[in-house]
Amino acid sequence: MSEQEDRLVRCFASVFPALAPEEIRTASTESVGAWDSLAAVTLVAVVQQEFGVEIDLLDLPELTCFEALRTYLSLYRDAGPRRDVNTDH
Amino acid sequence: MNLLDAIELLKRPIPEPASDQGIFLECGFTPLHLKTFLGAHLRLCFPKDRIEIKTGLYGDLAGNLERVRPSSRSVICVVVEWDDLDPRLGIRALGGWRSSDIPDIVESARRQSEQLTHLMKQLADNAPICVSTPTLPLPPIFTTRGGQAHHFECQLREVDASLATSLSADRRVRLLNLQRLDELSPLGRRFDAKAEITSGFPYSLEHASILAQLLVALVQDCPPKKGLITDLDDTLWAGILGESGVEGIKWDMAGHAHLHGLYQQFLASLASAGVLLAGASKNDPALVEQALGRSDILLSKDSLFPLEVHWGPKSESVGRILETWNIAPGDVIFIDDSPMEVAEVHAVFPQMECVVFPKSDYQAGWDLLKRLRDCFGKGIVSPEDEIRLRSIRTASTLKSVLQERGLGAEDFLRHCEATITFCLGTDARDDRAFELINKTNQFNLNGKRFGESEWLSFNQDPVSFLLTASYEDKFGPLGKIAVVMGKMGGRKLYVNSWVMSCRAFSRRIEHQCLKYLFEKLDADEIVFDYEATPRNGPLQDFFAELLGGPAVPALSVRKVFSNAKAPSLFHRIVEVANV
Repeated sequence: MSEQEDRLVRCFASVFPALAPEEIRTASTESVGAWDSLAAVTLVAVVQQEFGVEIDLLDLPELTCFEALRTYLSLYRDAGPRRDVNTDH
Repeated sequence: MNLLDAIELLKRPIPEPASDQGIFLECGFTPLHLKTFLGAHLRLCFPKDRIEIKTGLYGDLAGNLERVRPSSRSVICVVVEWDDLDPRLGIRALGGWRSSDIPDIVESARRQSEQLTHLMKQLADNAPICVSTPTLPLPPIFTTRGGQAHHFECQLREVDASLATSLSADRRVRLLNLQRLDELSPLGRRFDAKAEITSGFPYSLEHASILAQLLVALVQDCPPKKGLITDLDDTLWAGILGESGVEGIKWDMAGHAHLHGLYQQFLASLASAGVLLAGASKNDPALVEQALGRSDILLSKDSLFPLEVHWGPKSESVGRILETWNIAPGDVIFIDDSPMEVAEVHAVFPQMECVVFPKSDYQAGWDLLKRLRDCFGKGIVSPEDEIRLRSIRTASTLKSVLQERGLGAEDFLRHCEATITFCLGTDARDDRAFELINKTNQFNLNGKRFGESEWLSFNQDPVSFLLTASYEDKFGPLGKIAVVMGKMGGRKLYVNSWVMSCRAFSRRIEHQCLKYLFEKLDADEIVFDYEATPRNGPLQDFFAELLGGPAVPALSVRKVFSNAKAPSLFHRIVEVANV
């Protein structure tokens, strides 16, 4: 597991303290009842500050699971904000 | 503190037994991360408290303030922003920014500001209230370019200033100092437009954390330190007295010693607010006497007591000063230009804050003055603050005179023409009584401190009583020096708290307090919520002498017993009504 993934796990664990460590990587808005709008705002704020990234508002609806956020951060690290990557928008 | 750390801190368990504390966070925006940061900073300051933060409704600060019902252990934090004064001063409302709208915005803000002031002052009757006035930049609604202030913008700032002025004039309101916030949180980095529009939370995370931290400092309201011991050469003045002579030492700009002048001026300010000052110097006493007598010195010689001037170790001087002041090392700051002297004193008194005077660094000198103000700052200066040093000096002189003349305590007390003024009632506005309860350590029944809410709540209980005693004798006044508070239950009194200033020891005031309570409240027995603490030895000694053995928790004293054991009392008693 990468250092980046570890940090993302820590973010999820702080916002969803009831999740067991093995549940975090499969967590999604569907599977986690506590993932409401307030938790989503908190999660985004924590991730933005922890990784020093600015998550585009238009990307938010897609970031509905751990895996999506992990991929987003990897792309961001490689190429900056995802809006720049998806130039076809 | 970042948000992740704050959330993780809040998840840590609180060690039991924990006491409950309620915080009302009242604001017009979504409290979101401010609530998290507030909780985290509160946890750091009150690690043993289980703190519940309650918040109100979005967009209705005035209504939230009307709905607050604080309990006896609550504190209210109010965070006002521009759009609480008029929604058009935010970016979520689309109420119109035409130039013709602006005068109406200003007037509406003025009216709302007055209403909020009224509501906050009302709340202050029931609980401590900590307030932050607008911290965010105004939106660009004025017709001038951003670099040019518009008249209406200035009027809005006047509304803001009036709000702050009115609140700060109320001693029960703790107003956040925006100058300190400006130092820590740059204005340009406070507002988060995206968070404001998407979630109704207007602050950047950095600003939210800093604002929360400063609010918690207001909630905590740390008791100030009590005394400062200063070196003289190259500290109170520039130069070595023994080398440069009395006229050669300097503290002015012409002598490139302005920092020392500022330091003297600052110490004089501290002294006027009741801070004890003493000097500790390796020097010739006669020369020091002359130097402190110079007409241009900014700190009066009388402000420094005692003066320890000799060639012995500084730690011995500090020890004697602490003995004269009768206060603990942790309540004192020691300042000396020599790192070696500072280290020597700190080695002997590790609880004491020891500081190297930055004699050749103006910026560090400026920072030192700010640090000292933080250590000694207090909201209210009482009459007792003004006479404290004088009464310590008098007590010290008397002790020497008694020793020289071989007089006993009985002779002294018989002839000192003492008057004790008692005031019995429940005056929650008695700041001095509240201060004494919360800072006295030695003659203290149990070491328990009162929060402002508890204090207000206690004094509103019809069976509560609050007795204060002020003392004066032919050598001068000591001011209000003792407080007894408790509850009445038939012919029994239950005393929760009893404190007496160490300046008032050995005058038998404690016996007179008991006698007065028994007689005035027609009681047969007093039950004390006594608890031994590491620092309440004088109180333990008093009870041991009265009871003929060590005191135990929940001890009680009967009237006949107390009267029989009391020594001769020579005080004249004056009673004043509870105002």
